[in-house]
Amino acid sequence: MSTGRAAVITGIGSYVPPNVVTNDDLSERLDTSDAWIRSRTGIVERCFITPGTSTGDLAVEAGLRALKSAGAEQVGAVVLATTTPDQPCPATAPQVAARLGLGQVPAFDVAAVCSGFLYGLASAAGLIAAGVADSVLLIAADAFTTIINPEDRTTAVIFADGAGAVVLRAGSANEPGAIGPLVLGSDGELSHLIEVPAGGSRQRSSDRPVDPADRYFRMLGRETYRHAVERMTSVSTEAAERAGWRLEDVDRFAAHQANARILEAVAKRLGLPEDKQLSNIDRVGNTGAASIPLLLAEATAEGRLAAGHRVLLTAFGGGLAWGAGTVVWPELQTF
Amino acid sequence: MLEQLKEILSNKLKVSPEAITPEATREDIELDSLAVVELSLLLKSELDLDISDDDLLEAETVADMVRLMEERSAKV
Repeated sequence: MSTGRAAVITGIGSYVPPNVVTNDDLSERLDTSDAWIRSRTGIVERCFITPGTSTGDLAVEAGLRALKSAGAEQVGAVVLATTTPDQPCPATAPQVAARLGLGQVPAFDVAAVCSGFLYGLASAAGLIAAGVADSVLLIAADAFTTIINPEDRTTAVIFADGAGAVVLRAGSANEPGAIGPLVLGSDGELSHLIEVPAGGSRQRSSDRPVDPADRYFRMLGRETYRHAVERMTSVSTEAAERAGWRLEDVDRFAAHQANARILEAVAKRLGLPEDKQLSNIDRVGNTGAASIPLLLAEATAEGRLAAGHRVLLTAFGGGLAWGAGTVVWPELQTF
Repeated sequence: MLEQLKEILSNKLKVSPEAITPEATREDIELDSLAVVELSLLLKSELDLDISDDDLLEAETVADMVRLMEERSAKV
C-alpha cells in the first residue's frame, strides 16, 4: 500500500426530500402490492421529489451538510455524480458550486449512473493527486423519478430520489479517511441492460419519430441481477486485495443499495455476515449515484459506522459500470 | 440430480425441503424470477452446469428442472 498523497474524507452529509412514498401508495396506481415489492426488493418506503425540485436542489442540500461536517467554508473543486442532470447542457456542478457560495472553482459532472459515487471518488482523488485542488466537494445526487416511467411497475417501485456528499482533502494514505485503491470497470457491450434510449444525440440525429416510452429509463431485471451479483463480488474481492485486506478484515460493507436480494447474494458470496452489512434500502430505495454516500452518512449518524471501521465500498449499474474501494472510517460529525 | 437440486434449493435459496417434490411447480416452491437467476448462478458455481435463467423459467416443475440438469451434464 502506498503512503503518498491521498484523498482523505473529512466531512459527510446527505439529504432526501421530505415526501415519503410507501408501497401501499404505489399499489394504488400500479398493479403491485406491498408484499411483492418487499419480497423482490426489500424496499418498504422511499422519498420522491415534488414538482419544482431538481437534482441540483438535492445536491445543494447534501453539499451544505457535508461542508458543515468538514468545518469547511471553501473547497478547491466540486464534482457532481449524477444520472439526472438539471439540463442536458451545461453540467449541473457549476450551478451547485455557485449556489453553495464556492465561487469560481473548477466544477464538473460525472456520469456513471449507479457507480457515480465511486467514479466521482476517483475523479476527486485525481484532482487532488494532480495538484488541481487541495480539497474537493464530491456530491452524488439523483432525481431518479424524473426519468422513471410511472407505468413501469418493475422500476417505479425501486428507484427514488436523494443525495449524499463528502468533502475530501489532500492527506496521507495511511491516515483514517484515506481512500484506498479504487478498482473501476465498464462493459459498453451491455449498455442496453440499463438505459434511457432517447433524448441524446443518437436519437436526435435520427429522422424517426420518438417512441414516448423511449424517453424513460428501462432495465432488464434478470440480466442486471446476474451481472450485478457477479461483478460486485469480483470487484469487491479485488479492491480488498489491492488494499492488503482479507475479506474477514472488513468491518462494514457499504454496497450500492440496488436491491436487497442482490446485496444478500453478494454478501453471501463474500462471506460477510449480516451484522457487517450496512443497509438503508428499506427506507430510501435505490437512489442511483446518491446511494453509497447517503448510506454512509445515515450509518455514521446512527452509529452503525464508526471511526476505525474498515469499510469496503462497491457499486454496479448502467454503462455497465462498476467499482469498489476501501477506506478506514474517520471520525466525522453529522448534521 | 433431484437430491442435488433439493440441496441447493433448500440450503441456498431457503425453499422448505418438504415442498420440493418432482411435481412441484415454481409457484409451489415460491421461486420468483430473481430466485431463478440465483439458481442459474448456483448451478454453475456448485455443479458447473450451464443452464440459463431463461431455460429454467421454461421448466414448469422441479422434475423439468432436473431433466434440464441431466441433459446439460450429459453433454459435458
